[in-house]
Amino acid sequence: MTRIARLMAIVFCVLAISVLGAQQTQPAATSPAGSGGLDRALVAPTGPAPRLPNGQIDLSGVWQGGGPVGNIADGLAKGEMLPIRPEYLKIMESRNAKDDPEANCLPTGVPRRDPYPWRILQTPTHTFLLFEGNIHSYRQIFMDGRKHPADLDPTWYGHSVGHWEGATLVVDTVGFNDKFWFDFRGTPHTEKLHTIERYTRTNMGTLVIETTVDDPGAYTKPFTVTFTARLRPGEELMEYICNENNGFVHHITGSAKEF
Amino acid sequence: MRLIAAVVAGVAVLMVMARPAIAHHSFAAEYDANKPVTLKGTVSKVEWMNPHARFYVDVKDEKGAVTNWNLELASPNVLVRNGWTRNSLKVGDEVTVEGSRAKDGSNMANARVVKLADGRRVFAGSSGGDAPPPAQK
Repeated sequence: MTRIARLMAIVFCVLAISVLGAQQTQPAATSPAGSGGLDRALVAPTGPAPRLPNGQIDLSGVWQGGGPVGNIADGLAKGEMLPIRPEYLKIMESRNAKDDPEANCLPTGVPRRDPYPWRILQTPTHTFLLFEGNIHSYRQIFMDGRKHPADLDPTWYGHSVGHWEGATLVVDTVGFNDKFWFDFRGTPHTEKLHTIERYTRTNMGTLVIETTVDDPGAYTKPFTVTFTARLRPGEELMEYICNENNGFVHHITGSAKEF
Repeated sequence: MRLIAAVVAGVAVLMVMARPAIAHHSFAAEYDANKPVTLKGTVSKVEWMNPHARFYVDVKDEKGAVTNWNLELASPNVLVRNGWTRNSLKVGDEVTVEGSRAKDGSNMANARVVKLADGRRVFAGSSGGDAPPPAQK
């Protein structure tokens, strides 16, 4: 063992004791069933992505994550900043956390995700994204080659058409309303929003979702964010009806930008 | 060199463990992680509902005055995945709750750990484990 290795080992031990000591002043809490559900999610399967009989990559399964939750800028490449127009930065900074549509049991829109699992369901004509959480709804992606209609009523999930480029599912969506927020921080958009999502299952347990956000209303140029969803093997979606008892939103205080 | 790499990796893992997990939409806006509270009392009501399960605890002070606290848990789907059932907390149970107070000063808190009637300390899933943190980039 070299001197530097010995030194590193000592540093490691000191850090380990301080970090664990700070966390474990009491016996560690557990889940009521012992290991509970968390361990299952942490065992990420490896190996190549599965394929359908026709050779196409199979995206189906229960996934978690894959989009912004707290801050869409987390998905930018290192050193990049959101090219937000000053007037929309003002709108963002005026937003209060209690008004986040997601906190009020409204949909996340695109590309935002919530902390709950979701399922991809592929059929020859459609791909469905089934969301357990906010708000137990779904997106439908038309896979039959149709185009976007010329005149769309603005909606929370917009109108989505998909096609394959090699191993990547490309989903093009327009027709959004301007009501949802991209994240906790209230990052805004307009009805001019157009998203291009690229879903690539890089291995059995990993789905990389790269989304180009093209909204000339609120941004000076398109930008791309990348987030990764993880497979939750053996998981099934459960019911989650957000509006059942959401009577406590009025306790939320403060500006959205703090989060 | 392999040892050094292992040590660096170990430190990195510990630093990740020490980071607070991502909270559900309302945690940071609704609760103050810097206002920890420990409450000991009797469960008066359980609401096994979305978007958060809640339970209410009557806490008696040294003068005997009783205050009813509203305590937020994760959603039932997250709790069930972590081994909870709708019967884990029952009216009349004596419990101790460690959590974070509501920012608005009301008698409301986000429960982090609950010491159940049978003595087990269990995660409430709402602030630290509201589903495992979504894997980000």
